[in-house]
Amino acid sequence: MSFKRNPQVFSGSIKEVTIGNGANAVTIGGIKTMPLYSFDAPAKHKVAIGVEISDLGVDRSLPGLAAYYEGAETLAQIAERASKMPGADFVVLALEGADPNGENRSVEDCVAEAKEVFEAIDRPLAIIGSKNVEKDTKLFSALAEALQGKNVLLVSAREENYKTLGASVVMAYGNKLSAESAVDINLAKQLNVLLTQMGIQPEAFVMNVGSAAAGYGYDYVASTLDRVRSAALSQNDVMLQMPIITPVASEAWAVKEAVVSEEDIPEWGSRESRGINMEVCTAAAVIAGGSDAVLLMHPQSVATISGMIAGLK
Amino acid sequence: MAKFVVIGERIHCISPVIKKAMAEMDPEPIIARAKEQIAAGATYIDVNIGPAEKNGPELMKWAVKTIQEACDNVPLALDTANRNAIEAGISVYNRSKGKPIVNSADAGDRIENIDLAAANDAIAIALCSKAGVPADNDERMTYCQELLERGMEHGMEAEDLWFDPLFLVIKGMQDKQLDVLDFIGQLSDMGLNSTGGLSNVSNGTPKLIRPILDSTMVAMAMCKGLTSAIANPCDRRLMETIKSADIIKNHFLYADSFLEI
Repeated sequence: MSFKRNPQVFSGSIKEVTIGNGANAVTIGGIKTMPLYSFDAPAKHKVAIGVEISDLGVDRSLPGLAAYYEGAETLAQIAERASKMPGADFVVLALEGADPNGENRSVEDCVAEAKEVFEAIDRPLAIIGSKNVEKDTKLFSALAEALQGKNVLLVSAREENYKTLGASVVMAYGNKLSAESAVDINLAKQLNVLLTQMGIQPEAFVMNVGSAAAGYGYDYVASTLDRVRSAALSQNDVMLQMPIITPVASEAWAVKEAVVSEEDIPEWGSRESRGINMEVCTAAAVIAGGSDAVLLMHPQSVATISGMIAGLK
Repeated sequence: MAKFVVIGERIHCISPVIKKAMAEMDPEPIIARAKEQIAAGATYIDVNIGPAEKNGPELMKWAVKTIQEACDNVPLALDTANRNAIEAGISVYNRSKGKPIVNSADAGDRIENIDLAAANDAIAIALCSKAGVPADNDERMTYCQELLERGMEHGMEAEDLWFDPLFLVIKGMQDKQLDVLDFIGQLSDMGLNSTGGLSNVSNGTPKLIRPILDSTMVAMAMCKGLTSAIANPCDRRLMETIKSADIIKNHFLYADSFLEI
């Protein structure tokens, strides 16, 4: 008797969200199966990779990273180089300099940086803010206005500012927004409900349900991703069918394994390879959990993960 | 594990407005009542055209098309004693949002409605009765088995048989209420779907009391495993109770605004 394959068919499917315009636009979502179950049905869009750069420049203490960006000095040059990275689908500008507890760069300066990056690349752009709610509310509204209609993705709106950002970023200026809930499934759904109730279409925003590096509370991220994706598909919960993006680099490169110097703990070996390992582990895990896009920094991580995505297509 | 299915009961020929609209084939009052129920949270809309002995097929076809075209192909329960009318309704029915429901079959005169549902890939509401109210749960279970076998013989999936335990009126049959609940538990243990005319429970009680009795009954029945009810979705207390019970049963994910969606 021959083997009869029974694909698991769900009533629900993940919405599609597009960032960027024209030939280089990237669409994520559209999945109708459990993550990576391409044997049940082919994935409409592959998992996308955003390459993250910082307005504070490249961390040139990492030899591999420094080598990749060698000769790229200005932010525009760095952005252009990032956009050419093999495996990159879009570029992510992290405005770390905007942090009020750091350099506290002005909104105007940040807008100028974002425009510079946008002009330098021929791929879609996502922008991560300062992670300070008050600053980001002003910053994202100004960025959305300056990049009106360019279909950039702003990461992220939270419970405290979804209303202002939904109205400005999406409704007034035609850009895309991610809705961030820090590993809280009920809040993830609630933010989607609230944005929807404002009249924002599901094609205009994505979810960031939170992230953690492997070993640093990742189990909560895993169960959140599982629960969200399973409710979206098997319970056809339309309030959870938005695609998921996960910022991986910011978590993976901030934990002890990626930070401690080789002088302090020589037996751990190269800091750069530790960081890459954290980044790759975490990215692979969130993709297996249902993330439709990951934000990565290191070219080696991008190469590894894009190879994995292509191999599991 | 699926969300509770509310079959909106408000398109019923007992209502003078609906009766008049059906007699005159006036779409507006019927569409308005369908939309009102969908907005209130009904998944299915019941279309009761009465016995419709004269123009049943024509009337049911008209009602199905009228409602589905105006309401984004909302799935319907076709509710009449006239078998030809149900068949005619299914012939014009759009399945994109769900199979039609044949309302209803029983283990007596209406057992052939099971065959009708099977032949048309429809869901059948299967009343666990033959003639009148069953005396006890043993009798209910006998009818349930007969109906289940009949469906299987005709190639139906068990999940397409929604067994109706027969909700009974409290004013008059108060001592039988727990039997009904126990029977729902038995259906649930067998993995079967269930539904029923919930509003029967509060029939004849004051207007202010009905939502309280109906919502309490539905909560207790959902705890036993009831998967659907033919009910009034415009009863806010009832819908809030159903949504809350669905949350407690983990049928969909909690969010602060869950009552609004």
